[in-house]
Amino acid sequence: MDDEIILRTQGLGKTYETKPEKTVALDDVNLQVNRGKLLAIYGPSGSGKTTLLFLLGGLDRPTSGRIYFEGVEVTNMDERRLSKLRRNAIGFVFQNYNLVEELTVLENVMLTMMFEGKSEREMRDRAEQLLHKVGISGKEQRRPAQLSAGEQQRVATARALANRPRLVLMDEPTGNLDQENSQELMQLVSEVIHGEGATCVVATHNLDIVQEADSKLFLKSGRIVSS
Amino acid sequence: MRTVLTVLGLAALILTYVGVQSLVSTLEINVTGSVSSLGGEIDVWSKGAVFPLLSRLPESYASQVKSISGVSLATPVALVQLTVDNNYALVAGVVPAQFPHLLNYTMTSGTMISSNQSGILAIGKALAATIGKGAGDSAQLNGQDYRISGVYETNTWMDYSLVIPHTVAQQLIGWVNQTSMIVVVTQDPRNVNAIIGQIRTLLPTVDAFRTSEAPSRISPIFASLEAIATDITIIVSVSAVLGIMNSNLNNLRERMRTFAIFKATGASYGQIIKLVFYESFLIGVLGTLLGLAISYVILSFVSIPLIETINVKIILVPSTFIYATILGISISIAAAIYPALKIAKVRPQEVFRFG
Repeated sequence: MDDEIILRTQGLGKTYETKPEKTVALDDVNLQVNRGKLLAIYGPSGSGKTTLLFLLGGLDRPTSGRIYFEGVEVTNMDERRLSKLRRNAIGFVFQNYNLVEELTVLENVMLTMMFEGKSEREMRDRAEQLLHKVGISGKEQRRPAQLSAGEQQRVATARALANRPRLVLMDEPTGNLDQENSQELMQLVSEVIHGEGATCVVATHNLDIVQEADSKLFLKSGRIVSS
Repeated sequence: MRTVLTVLGLAALILTYVGVQSLVSTLEINVTGSVSSLGGEIDVWSKGAVFPLLSRLPESYASQVKSISGVSLATPVALVQLTVDNNYALVAGVVPAQFPHLLNYTMTSGTMISSNQSGILAIGKALAATIGKGAGDSAQLNGQDYRISGVYETNTWMDYSLVIPHTVAQQLIGWVNQTSMIVVVTQDPRNVNAIIGQIRTLLPTVDAFRTSEAPSRISPIFASLEAIATDITIIVSVSAVLGIMNSNLNNLRERMRTFAIFKATGASYGQIIKLVFYESFLIGVLGTLLGLAISYVILSFVSIPLIETINVKIILVPSTFIYATILGISISIAAAIYPALKIAKVRPQEVFRFG
């Protein structure tokens, strides 16, 4: 059923023009993600996973094709509507976490809620609740640099979930972690994301995550090789 | 560090602005004071004179002006700069009987001159303090001995001068039936403009104007001093805007990643601009407050020499501080416009990929 599809792409392509040559990062990518499911996108480095996530998250615009989020085409959305989409509907966990170094852990999680205009009390309660869920209680006032890689990843996850997004995009969530920490983190993150009722798209090298996913896409040289 | 330097730069701008404006205000108030402290509402000078010391007109004009309806007092004042115990001072030759109607003063010691008797003078409190003399003492006026009848206080520039009878002043200058200016008091201040018109018609060789207009008439140089101060303010302000803008741009460039994160996590174009403006506003307030405090402290201890040994303290006018506050914050905001628009266009994916 179409209403179960939260995300769909049609002939998606992205070409970087670095004169004199053109680099095709994505070519004719067609995918769909059902609500509440986990889609794993895997493939070798440089296959276009991050580019695809950036396009799906409204952080970049495709050079061809279309993206539909909850049935609405986002490809031609103006910047204002895209900002709102990123703020309300989509949570992004970046490969390098991208936490703001000058802010505390708590403030980092409150960030997206601040842009949404929520009250201080509401932001604080929600941030503390999420940090508790991801196991970072007691470290709210620390700076990101004072946390381990795994802890930073959890904070980034909490931030992505702050505004109760319907879609969470995760770029190499276990890329900087050892196997034990990767498994522990993914189990926790998976529980939290599903607990929040969100759909998740993960770009990863980690085959364990791929195994656990509801659906998977293998990307090579910007094209879907198998699904 | 860059923010601290921006705050200090802004404080320096405020100090420059307050310093220049206060200097002009001090000169203006004192120059105004040197004329308007003689009292009256209308000054009558010879046409073309740029300073009352250079004005010369017939003493009989005073009675002609007095005959105009609505004039309650028209009295001649002869101004001359003389040495008093080797200090230069402005000496006002006045008609003793009319002087109390011209000026409000209190005698701190002795009495005011009351007749045309020569060899007697009354001295302003500040000048008396400068030469270290008081009532009953003798002072050398232009090399001749004069007895100080009393010390007066007006809390105006007159406190830096001394008063002798008009006839005595005429003798000292060597004028016969001539005076420097005529000071006019009206019966109804609402008629000042009409009376000025009548004086100009009656006496075509003189110029009459409100006493408050004296500074701009005293010298074209003085009028242009205000223009120079404005020019300095504009040049310093433009330099400050460019300097702070450059600092802001570099500062924001260093924090490009932070703004990219803001944008990636949902901050809109407008929210980024607001954040930058808010930050600039805070820096503006900090720099301005610091600048005002430094200006107040420094300028409170600064004096400028006005006539030889007479130093006047810089006068701190409240409106200068208000304008400085507006200027400081405006410059901060203005210097943030371009950097804010630029940083709001940041493309997160490019920053995350290429740094």
